[in-house]
Amino acid sequence: MTVDVSQYIDADRGFVRGEIFHSREIYERELEQVFARSWLFLAHDSMIPKPGDFIQNYMGEDPVVVARQRDGSVKAFMNQCRHRGMRICRADRGNAKSFMCSFHGWTYDTAGNLIHVPHEEDIYDPKVFDKKDWGPAQVPRLANYKGFIFGNWDPDAPEFEEYLGDMAWYFDAYIDRYEGGMEAIALHKWVIPCNWKFNAEQPASDMYHAEVSHASAVQVLKRPGADNGATRYAKGKGHQFGSPYGHGAGWFDTTESSSRNPIIAAWENETQPQVAERLGEVRAAAVRGHANIFPTFMMLNNGSLRVTHPRGPEEMEVWSWTFVPVVAPPEVKEQYRIEVLRTFSPGGMFEQDDAENWLEEQRILRGHMARKNPLIYTMQLGNARRNADGFPGTTVPHCYADEGARAMYRHYEDLMSGAPWPELVELKKRREQEAAG
Amino acid sequence: MPLVSERRARTAVPVEVQRDVERFLFDEADLLDDWEFREWLGLMAPDIHYWAPTRENRLYRERKKEMAGPGESAYFDERHAELTQRVDRLYTHMAWAEEPPSRTRHLITNIRVGATERADEFDVESSFYVYRTRGERDVDHVVGKRYDLIRRADNPYGFQIAKRTIVFDMATLLVKNLSLFY
Repeated sequence: MTVDVSQYIDADRGFVRGEIFHSREIYERELEQVFARSWLFLAHDSMIPKPGDFIQNYMGEDPVVVARQRDGSVKAFMNQCRHRGMRICRADRGNAKSFMCSFHGWTYDTAGNLIHVPHEEDIYDPKVFDKKDWGPAQVPRLANYKGFIFGNWDPDAPEFEEYLGDMAWYFDAYIDRYEGGMEAIALHKWVIPCNWKFNAEQPASDMYHAEVSHASAVQVLKRPGADNGATRYAKGKGHQFGSPYGHGAGWFDTTESSSRNPIIAAWENETQPQVAERLGEVRAAAVRGHANIFPTFMMLNNGSLRVTHPRGPEEMEVWSWTFVPVVAPPEVKEQYRIEVLRTFSPGGMFEQDDAENWLEEQRILRGHMARKNPLIYTMQLGNARRNADGFPGTTVPHCYADEGARAMYRHYEDLMSGAPWPELVELKKRREQEAAG
Repeated sequence: MPLVSERRARTAVPVEVQRDVERFLFDEADLLDDWEFREWLGLMAPDIHYWAPTRENRLYRERKKEMAGPGESAYFDERHAELTQRVDRLYTHMAWAEEPPSRTRHLITNIRVGATERADEFDVESSFYVYRTRGERDVDHVVGKRYDLIRRADNPYGFQIAKRTIVFDMATLLVKNLSLFY
């Protein structure tokens, strides 16, 4: 009997029980039903520009190698030798012609083909062994969305753009503002003793915490003359988006750059007209706040884009890249780099206070009563509208809301039911039709 | 980093200088462990560059790329104004990762002092082990090495730090945050 998470989640009424953050059994099912069936971020074109360039990444707990091929295409395959299961590649990134497993010497090309088995002729009977059958498992579905490469193990999953749905409009507000796209210029990796969903639900749905959780950072990082959030917090003006596929986004309805950094703010304001031409007035000014592409690809409006790799129910590994627009002047790129490391790296003045919340939540959920009583996700419940105020999809008219979280946990519950993707797609269509009345 | 043999060849300093610099680094460690961060800021020269590049797993043939270079990934890349912000943040008493404060012990070892072209400045290497406990059960350890440029100064401690490069002996950082100083 596999665990049924629907007993812990009531997305329509806005209740979630803490068991889903704590249970080892649920976690193992997540690896199978969520991470092996969702579109996961693997790499960006700028990370592997040349043939032979590779990076290691993870899909859930499964290590994968992502490599640029000679014809410019990208391959992704399990970083696991089929012989005894050893890790094939043990560098985080680099450039290679081939990968040799350092256990018995089985060697793979950068496309993941097994090309050499030591002593093959003497020890393997060609009747039962053919090298072409024993390459590492290939990630069968890859999608390159404006330079961002995603992978999915499930042949039945919807196409990436269908999976994104209305979220594409919001994602573009982060990564498609300028001709030439984005490039990754920095990376931080660290470990936080908490469940991956605590981080994911925050960029999906939680602007509300910033005022208190980040009070200290907001206080000392004031930019002279700037609004610095105080006015925005007072008014709470903004919107939040929730997707049938579990994505979420939230933003203040600002009209100018919200960067605390004067050099970045000046450049963003100066280039806003050209961004508006590309994305429209509304998207160019507002929309950028926080967002998550389910399950674990998260972004903030400062160029910080991250994945949280699950590491058991009580631990996650954060891989957080700093992305900058390719066309930004060098001095602006440098300020983005500095800004992210001072705010949202492990030593960042915002980041460390988030970790404190998550790890305390996690620890308390060891308690029976702590898991029994539901947590409440009812902010802006019942206020969802479709395609309102110029925003596509389902939004609520306030940036302090739980619409993104309700969408995330509704989709999570769908996936965890184990129903195949085609059924889930139908279910979501039915729901949309019912909501439309 | 230069090879050990190259660093060894640098001009030695008189034993009193070695002793005074060691004493200075121990004083600095105590200021950090005792939460005297404003006093500690006074040890940072106005032109301080406080830098901690990240590291990654690279094959031996690409080992020169193991450590991030200037302008690349870093945990700290601070001047005096930014260090001041970090200290000010701790004193807002709303910096929740350090409220209530954690307990730390900075153990400073392997101190080597070398002369520079300027009589009042010294190249100083030191290793550190920072033990931290927090709340009821949190405990972690950060080990690494610092490459400092230390300058004589007219203050009760006798010196200021003009440049500090911190190398953490980790690729993936195995602690929840870097909320303090190293």
